[in-house]
Amino acid sequence: MAGVLDLLVIGAGLTGLFAAYTAARAGLRVRVVARGAGSTHWHAGTIDLLGYLPNGQDAVANWAQALPELPPAHPYRLLGVDAIAQALDQFQRLVAAAGLPYVRAGGGMAFTASSPPEDRNLQENDPAEQFDDPRLGQNGALISPVGAARPVYLAPAAQQAGNLEDDRPLLIAGLDGMPDFYPALIAENLQRQGRLARSASLPLDQLTERRDRSPLHLARLLDRPAAQALLTEMVVNAAAPGERVGLPAVLGLNDHARLLEKIDRALAARDPDTAQTPDRRGACAAVFEIPTLPPSLPGLRLDTALRARLDRLGVRVEIGMEVCGFHATGRRIHWIETETGSRPLRHTARNYLLATGGILGGGIHGDRCGHVKETVFDLPLTAPQTRAQWLRPLFLDKRGHPVFRAGVSVDHRFLPLDRSGAPVYDNLWAAGAVLAHTDPIRERSREGIAISTGCAAANAVVRGQQL
Amino acid sequence: MPATSLNAVGLSLNDCIKCNICTSYCPVSQVTDSFPGPKYAAPQSERFRDFGHPFYADDAGPISRTLAAGRMPDASVDFCSGCRVCNEVCPTGVRIAEINARARARIAAARGLSLRNRLLGRNELLARVGSIAPGLANFLLHNPLSRRLADALFGVAEKAPLPRWHNETLNRWLSRTRAQRLRSQQKVVYFHGCATQYYEPFVGIAAILVLEHLGYEVIVPPQNCCGLPMLSNGEFSAAEGYHRRNVARLIEFVNAGYPIIGTSTSCTLTLKEEAPELLDLENDADVRALKLATWDIFEWLRDRLDQGRLPSDLRPLHQSDRPFILPYHAPCQLRAHRIGKPALDLLARIPGLDLRESHARCCGIAGTYGYKTEKYQIAMDVGAELFDYVAAQSAASDREAAGSLSFTACDSETCRWQLEHGTGIPSRHPIELLAAACGLYDLQARRPADAN
Repeated sequence: MAGVLDLLVIGAGLTGLFAAYTAARAGLRVRVVARGAGSTHWHAGTIDLLGYLPNGQDAVANWAQALPELPPAHPYRLLGVDAIAQALDQFQRLVAAAGLPYVRAGGGMAFTASSPPEDRNLQENDPAEQFDDPRLGQNGALISPVGAARPVYLAPAAQQAGNLEDDRPLLIAGLDGMPDFYPALIAENLQRQGRLARSASLPLDQLTERRDRSPLHLARLLDRPAAQALLTEMVVNAAAPGERVGLPAVLGLNDHARLLEKIDRALAARDPDTAQTPDRRGACAAVFEIPTLPPSLPGLRLDTALRARLDRLGVRVEIGMEVCGFHATGRRIHWIETETGSRPLRHTARNYLLATGGILGGGIHGDRCGHVKETVFDLPLTAPQTRAQWLRPLFLDKRGHPVFRAGVSVDHRFLPLDRSGAPVYDNLWAAGAVLAHTDPIRERSREGIAISTGCAAANAVVRGQQL
Repeated sequence: MPATSLNAVGLSLNDCIKCNICTSYCPVSQVTDSFPGPKYAAPQSERFRDFGHPFYADDAGPISRTLAAGRMPDASVDFCSGCRVCNEVCPTGVRIAEINARARARIAAARGLSLRNRLLGRNELLARVGSIAPGLANFLLHNPLSRRLADALFGVAEKAPLPRWHNETLNRWLSRTRAQRLRSQQKVVYFHGCATQYYEPFVGIAAILVLEHLGYEVIVPPQNCCGLPMLSNGEFSAAEGYHRRNVARLIEFVNAGYPIIGTSTSCTLTLKEEAPELLDLENDADVRALKLATWDIFEWLRDRLDQGRLPSDLRPLHQSDRPFILPYHAPCQLRAHRIGKPALDLLARIPGLDLRESHARCCGIAGTYGYKTEKYQIAMDVGAELFDYVAAQSAASDREAAGSLSFTACDSETCRWQLEHGTGIPSRHPIELLAAACGLYDLQARRPADAN
């Protein structure tokens, strides 16, 4: 291809896309290849930094303060609080500029306003946020799809009003016929946690005649003004004065912010007296989204925002390309090959970033014989020696499962290391869930690991290019 | 009755993790309730068709069954357009579109095929008959009464963009211009496909002119339909006959080391992958050799570019100092090759060309799908995403560049027809753009620049 790439990112999840963004913004020629669409599509869309410590039972209140309790080899320990905070700051600017603002889920979030999407271009280049902010690292608690409390650091603005630090009573409103969203179950679980909560179900017959009411179908429907008006009316009729309303996260694919605002305004207009805790718009945020099972709209929106930004930076994201081989001499990778309908396709770049994910994302594969393998470069992994040691007997064991800690060990530059502790290649970097010494599912740190290590690895590539 | 073994297609269903990404991106289930979506239609249903059970054993071998055996797939699988967007986005490599194609074949094998689907599968035959008297054929096919009758009698959508026969087939042009054709030690084989032969010979002419410009002699051996229309309509045994005949005709060139280059992305995909995989011919040495020798024309040109063997004397397509905006749609059938978007890499070298890539998933037509009465509207609804994108670029062109949008570009013929139908703007194959940029081709009149 005309002109050599500076960086080829393998993997199109949050890690790969954010790393590509970081490197492209620094002026590098970047491309992304991935076997399929990224696991962002399964996500709740929140940015979880650190919800639980490896052996802790209670949710982490402040991840920045909990960092020293992590094992020394943990990716967060390689980075330190400042590097993580800077990466998050970059992320917040990016999504705000894309019209998908993220806010702190806890610690007086009403003050951590991101500007409205109008000042898009200014946003990404604003001076950095103050890192001596006393609220840095403070997790909030949002409502999970079954009504449990989830420790979350940054949340899409659409999920903001669901914060459980807020003690307003809750109405969990489902949509009739929508699969896998059970408002009564959510309300019941919230009551068990001592919350004032009740449930309702809104009729969908007026909105759609379709039998197949997937979250995505409903979201596309709710991008239309007529459907928005109808839903607004139904919510206003169902909510009691002073109640917050939690709806499944289907309030639009391209236009959910407008619908949320419409409902908020309609509720505030109806009950001007009970309006409390005004948010940055001066209105009472009384409506919020609760993430659903996949397809997950908050995840899709995040993927769309990142891809649109990369497109503008001239970064091509090639989906449907699976790496099937590579060529290296000594400690240098010369090219990788992806499988096609015929002969393998060669991709040449100066640097390669492995962002293929863990076992769930496909970056690590375990077979029936008990072999655990890194799927692209066959890098050395930290993994249990035998299959019997992979899993604990209980599926939901609070300590997580040993095999999910399997991964690639890296140095502080995010170069994968061999067993002797030396870099395997000089131009191969790794980030995200493929890294060792972390169990992002158990720790509730998936997105934090993705953003902070993706950003750090990309910055290391940028520094290497400048030398 | 052909038998298919449980090769990579069937077994891949075990890799499905139910993440719903395919459902999120399926352009068909987005616009209609008739198709429940890739996850439900393919991996989830296939698991319950005992045909696909890996432990099913019978005399034909442990995992091989005739098409008509096993539980019958639900008829809704017929509403899968076969665009393969699901395969593209699947993070675990499930061959979703192929599972659906095989399910359709099983329905066809057990219940037979409608006359309409049989005819659409044999569009080569129709095209050949029509080419005897193109003027008459165009009149017979394109007058409003025939279109209404075809709709009512056969279920061929009245408004769907059927092509027009050209007054000269590619073969006739080749024999007429035989004396001017380049002879060279470097040779390539051109696979034109039916549409280029009968409806759009100028696309083949543009390809031949570019290849000759680069110093290659272009061999155009006898060939027949790649069989894809039959594969999409579930007629596997007929498709196998077509594919085997193509293999027999092309294998001597493959063995001589010549690349087989095509301008129709769906024909080349069929030679590379669809026929071998769906028909279970991957272990046939000649089929495999052809698979490995087949190239999309821009894939091959990009390979030359990587080796520094392409001329850089490209000229602007437009006499203006303002950029020439041109929306480009990489068709699903090209994306299914998994070769990226090679036309973008090449066309980026044309001075003054502002090529804008549509990220639309599908134009809707999906080969023969959008020509069926019951699917026409679905195809148009699917295509709306692309039509809207073109309209937006058209507005941008009015604003920023010199005048209104002249063309769109797309590598696949039926997609170009659908694009023209949906937008009213003429569409061109990227090779026509490249030929024009080499000064070999008149983009407006669609003929060689020197009018031979």
